[in-house]
Amino acid sequence: MISQPPRRHRPARPLLYLMPAIIVLSVFFIAPILIDIVIAFTNMGVNLKVEKFTFDNVLRMLGRDSRLPMVLMTTFIYVTATLFLFNIGLGAILAVTTTAVPERLGAFFRGLWLLPRMSPAVLYGVLWIWVADPTPYGLINQIGGALGLPLLNLRNDQPLLLIVIANGMVGASFAMVIMTSTIRSIPAHLFSAARIDGAGEWSVLRHVVLPALLPPLRFITIYQALSLMTTYEYILLITRGGPVYDSTTYALYVYRRAFESGAYAYGAALALGLMVIGVAVTLLQWRMAGMKQSFAAPKIEVL
Amino acid sequence: MFRTLTLAATTIALLATTASAEEIKLKLWTLADRNGPARVTNIEDAAAILNSQYKAAGIDKTIVIEVNNSGQKGWDDYALDTLKAFAVNQGPDVYLLPHEWIGQFAADGYAKALDEEIASKPWVYGDVLPVLWNSVKGIDGKVYAIPQDAEIRMFFYNKDMLRKIGKDEAFIDAIPAKVETGNFTLDDFTALSKEVVEKGAAQYGMLHRPNVGIDYLMVFASNGVKFTDEKTGKLLFPKKEMEAALSWYERNAKEGVTPADNTAMSWEAIQTAFKQEKAFVFHQGVWAVAWQVGDKLGATWPTDGKGYFNKIGWIPAPAAEKGGKPANLSHPIAYAINPKGTNAGIAADLVALASLPYFNTKHAVSSYHTAISNAQTAMPEYKANWALEAASPMMVHANFVPNHTKFGSYNKVLFSGLQAVETSRMSAAEAVEFIADELEVQFGDEVEIRDALAN
Repeated sequence: MISQPPRRHRPARPLLYLMPAIIVLSVFFIAPILIDIVIAFTNMGVNLKVEKFTFDNVLRMLGRDSRLPMVLMTTFIYVTATLFLFNIGLGAILAVTTTAVPERLGAFFRGLWLLPRMSPAVLYGVLWIWVADPTPYGLINQIGGALGLPLLNLRNDQPLLLIVIANGMVGASFAMVIMTSTIRSIPAHLFSAARIDGAGEWSVLRHVVLPALLPPLRFITIYQALSLMTTYEYILLITRGGPVYDSTTYALYVYRRAFESGAYAYGAALALGLMVIGVAVTLLQWRMAGMKQSFAAPKIEVL
Repeated sequence: MFRTLTLAATTIALLATTASAEEIKLKLWTLADRNGPARVTNIEDAAAILNSQYKAAGIDKTIVIEVNNSGQKGWDDYALDTLKAFAVNQGPDVYLLPHEWIGQFAADGYAKALDEEIASKPWVYGDVLPVLWNSVKGIDGKVYAIPQDAEIRMFFYNKDMLRKIGKDEAFIDAIPAKVETGNFTLDDFTALSKEVVEKGAAQYGMLHRPNVGIDYLMVFASNGVKFTDEKTGKLLFPKKEMEAALSWYERNAKEGVTPADNTAMSWEAIQTAFKQEKAFVFHQGVWAVAWQVGDKLGATWPTDGKGYFNKIGWIPAPAAEKGGKPANLSHPIAYAINPKGTNAGIAADLVALASLPYFNTKHAVSSYHTAISNAQTAMPEYKANWALEAASPMMVHANFVPNHTKFGSYNKVLFSGLQAVETSRMSAAEAVEFIADELEVQFGDEVEIRDALAN
């Protein structure tokens, strides 16, 4: 009996298996960036025609656009306030409180806080317009009226505050869900040990729960900061970035320049700027938060 | 077997007949407008005429109109959207455009030059009001669209409220004449509105449109603003006159005559406030009569001319200074034709038919727009429309906004300045600098910024 020759080693064809990912990445991620870069250096206006290539847009962005400093400031206030007060602060409070109450009640409240995330953006935006309506029929004014407070017109007088709150209410659920699962995954014996050592509720929170929350906190901060910087749909729906440019964040500014004024090339240049800012902010946070640790191989193997 | 074959043969024969009737599909685009449905139905009716003529002549063709009623916020956003469609070869065959955008579409080759077409069809175009042709010319002086309507814009004011605050009929009746002679100025109007609000007859003094448009430009015009240099055709931004106009809006907001968030209100809220008699003045145009009469928006107003004018008065934008001239701006909407459309000839025929007195009068009376031809003004339906009859004399002060390619974008910047002063984000002087800066950055030397017109 002749033994079969050993099977020839077949190459793994990595390219073939990577192809779907490569196609998706290049069509949806790389191509738009390349197109944006090209458009940013043209004079494409309302009629979408390209007549020449120019550095004008970049020069305008860096030197002549006197709206831009204010827009950057608005973005900074909006991102930091929403991130720390709501996306992290409120999210953490919700996670801690809903895990501290009986399970069913906790689940109920978590479900409630997920509602804004589940409702369509337009519906949510329209609801906020009604909440902040300047007439006595708006929700805030109905409550304020019952307490004898004067009528408020948040959309006109405090547009930035309004969009921070409206966005925060949506964003808090993200941290809440992640942190809840983190708190749940803390081994029960740590709580018991702490209590045996005489720790009160506050000390348990401070020395057992909080340390566990730090790694997901880093991720949430970076992820949510980026997402706040680049999304604008609720702002567009609730205040349209106004009055004038008062609640226009950078991403909305890109949209308004490109699609409201028809300055597509300038919008593309601004979008390029947003990309640069986004990368810079992420790298900075990465460094400051020590994200390397989060991605490092675990030191012990959990069975 | 034989039956199956016969059936198959019949089916094929039937299919072949259907397929042989050539469908000529024409895309018609307009801004969705509940009050002006005839902009679409007139073209559809014209297509029905051509179709019946084809049928009678044994021509196996059917024109099918595919309508796109755009849901954009206003004519400017719609125009921008249409430009985008043309840029990617998805443009319509026939489309409606506000006249000031025609320059842009003509320059990009999206609107057909129609001088020959107009000369070849004197049976429809011979009688069109000459002033309307001026509104649809490109920079090269050629006509690029067929005006479909003209209109009068005015401040509507509620006479019942004046009666409520103790004004006598003589005072009320004299207002239009005083406006005409320049003895009732914009500031007098503000003072009167303030009085109405302070004496509790209305919640709001004056309301205007919440978005970019033409009406407020009347106030700029009565303050002496000119938007283009007549000699060079260049867009102008005269700072002194602009500041005067913006300061009127600033004062109105400060005095509580106009709500600070007028530009954030919805059209519905604004119109309802006027109809339900919570606002003394509403600034728009004659077509607003469509919802003012009858029981729309939760209040019933008289439908006859006498009853209506007993309740509501109309004036153009009063002069800014005593002895000055009032101002009015008309804003024709026009049909343009895609020169690259495979059936541009048929499209032109449809527009010609839809511009005949019979069809245009249908549009005029149903949408409260003034007629495009002299003949129409003698037609019984037109004469029976008391609102149009009353509006026509106001055409004396009418002017058009420039057909400059950049005017649409210019107007958007102007509007954000108006919003800035009303919401007290800026003073009128600061808003002027803001607008000038925006215009300079956006248009460079295409806009000439001057300290004052006299300079």
